[in-house]
Amino acid sequence: MSEFFTNLKENGTVNIVELGGYLDAHTAPQLENVFSDLIKSKRFNVVVNFEQLNYISSAGLGVFMAFIETMRENSGDIKLAAMKPNVYNIFDLLGFPLLYEIFNSENEAIDKFIKQ
Amino acid sequence: MPHSSEDIRIKRNLTALVEFSRAVNSSLSMDFTLNNLLLSCFGKFLTTKGFVAINSNGFLTPVVLKGINKEELEAFPKIPAENTDDSKAMMRSFVKENNLKLCEPIVSSRGLLGCIVLGEKINKSDYTEDEVDFLRTILGIAATSIENSLFVDELRGLNRDLDKRLNRLSSLFELSKEFGALIEEERISRLLVYSLLGNFLVSSYAICYLEDKKLKVIESTVPKQPVLDYLGTINLQSVTNPVSGENLTASFEPLSRLKINLIIPMKYQNETRGLILLGKRMNLAEYSDADIEFITSVGNLAIMSLENRRLFKEALEKQRLEEELEIAKDIQRNLLPKNLPQFEEYDIAAMTVPSKQVGGDYYDIISTAGEDVYLAIADVSGKGVPASLLMANLQAFLKSITIQNLGLSDATGLLNNLVTENTSEGRFITFFWCKLLRNEKKLIYVNAGHNPPLLIRNNKLQYLDKGGMIFGVMKTFVPYAEEIIELQSGDLLVLFTDGVTEAKNRFDREFTDEKLETLMLGVKGEMKAGEIMNMIKSEIDTYVEGFPQSDDITMIVVKVK
Repeated sequence: MSEFFTNLKENGTVNIVELGGYLDAHTAPQLENVFSDLIKSKRFNVVVNFEQLNYISSAGLGVFMAFIETMRENSGDIKLAAMKPNVYNIFDLLGFPLLYEIFNSENEAIDKFIKQ
Repeated sequence: MPHSSEDIRIKRNLTALVEFSRAVNSSLSMDFTLNNLLLSCFGKFLTTKGFVAINSNGFLTPVVLKGINKEELEAFPKIPAENTDDSKAMMRSFVKENNLKLCEPIVSSRGLLGCIVLGEKINKSDYTEDEVDFLRTILGIAATSIENSLFVDELRGLNRDLDKRLNRLSSLFELSKEFGALIEEERISRLLVYSLLGNFLVSSYAICYLEDKKLKVIESTVPKQPVLDYLGTINLQSVTNPVSGENLTASFEPLSRLKINLIIPMKYQNETRGLILLGKRMNLAEYSDADIEFITSVGNLAIMSLENRRLFKEALEKQRLEEELEIAKDIQRNLLPKNLPQFEEYDIAAMTVPSKQVGGDYYDIISTAGEDVYLAIADVSGKGVPASLLMANLQAFLKSITIQNLGLSDATGLLNNLVTENTSEGRFITFFWCKLLRNEKKLIYVNAGHNPPLLIRNNKLQYLDKGGMIFGVMKTFVPYAEEIIELQSGDLLVLFTDGVTEAKNRFDREFTDEKLETLMLGVKGEMKAGEIMNMIKSEIDTYVEGFPQSDDITMIVVKVK
């Protein structure tokens, strides 16, 4: 099983969180810390790049639910980008496309923030 | 051979039918089929507008339209998708009102699948009987294709349901794997929450846990205090099944005011040990039975993990206490004299048998530079490490004070002051000590609230009970009294702690002072101190018949030679 990792980048006012490996119950707290830190430093525009993420479990999805409201209450958002089909499938299955904007690429997601 | 116009017409119709049939059967997409159907009609009849409505949840719903604006169809009535006169009449009037021309049902063995509605032809002529026949034929072909598409959609839906179930199963598997390891309470509750959030798109929740009869809200996005206040007023055990909907509003009104939509009990060994409270799902879907079943399973997994963790903590704590007891026992053992000094004038024996729990008995035999002999016996209140430490203090004071060569009464007063300064409230020591002189057979003693030692001479008992207050209650205010006793050869002196006289048998009856006294009065003249001590001990052993000892048993026996 490949290790889970996160990597944080900035592009203007947009914060990009790159994910890789396996996001499951075991590794979810790592991502939670990343989001908590972003909120602490008042950075509410977040794009999550899933390009290198190989697997996500529903506990992993829960992390996004746990932070979305805080981001939106502060006129930010969590936008999702570049998911592998199997990862998108889980998001789709659990009804996330209704609540989250999902983009094909990181740039499209960033553009959406900039145009707003 | 010349072709009649009739022949050409039939041939053209056949070609169109074959083409259409080939096209729609090559695809399982409903949209493709319907699109093709409309376009074929438009091409064949030179129609400019039309739409297809399909049975969706029992009503006809326009899905593919051409030459007609969506707005124009907003007025499309709610027509039951049934082959009834009512439905037909409704369709007919809609067609008429909107200047449309033709409406034909699409029917298969399953019943009414939908209908096609066509507008005016470009040349404004009416549809001929022939054209209507042709339309019916291609509708027949389309019906099979639509039916297939419906099947495929159904299968897709079923597959999606299966995927959902599979996903739930893997969620459960994942959690049980995590919960199986003994992880922190906070992590257990976070995982539970993540899993629920991820699976159900909820954003408001509270997880309550009844740990050791104390209710806690361990995770929550709703205000904790109102939840705690309210749950404090209800009997948690009465929540044995999931509660939602009207039941929740009626019976758990304060929770419903906190926007809680679902209450799921978390059970451990059939007892409700916690609650999962969930708010609305963000996609506004209701919680299905399968959802509730899943949440119940996850909740029960979590509570099991929480309980296991608690039991593990308890076991650890117990182990820690046991280790502490071992340390206390060690301290205590090291305080006791390792070798008994021997004297020409006195035959002295001493023993202490610690109980399983560490008691606070202490004795010492101190002889200063070949001079006099000090015997001390004490019982420190309390057990465990604190009692042992107090005992160690006492011993240190005692050792240093005997060197000072003070009078016994003054020394006792000082000891009490030292102990009082060094004890916390509620702790005390009963203490007896005496000095056996070497050059003359004489005993000086002070008793600070200890069980009076016995002096037996010529079959008569004397209690050594002069002295004063126990140690540790307050500083010495009234000097301790001391008594001097001239000793005679053959005198028997027994110092003991209450562990001797209060040794219990299995009927909870004590050995008693009387029994000890009778025993002592029966001691034969030739017995040595050690023999007498062993006799007392074996009498006690016989009496208690192996019933576990609850207090230390300590004795010093002195026979004046």
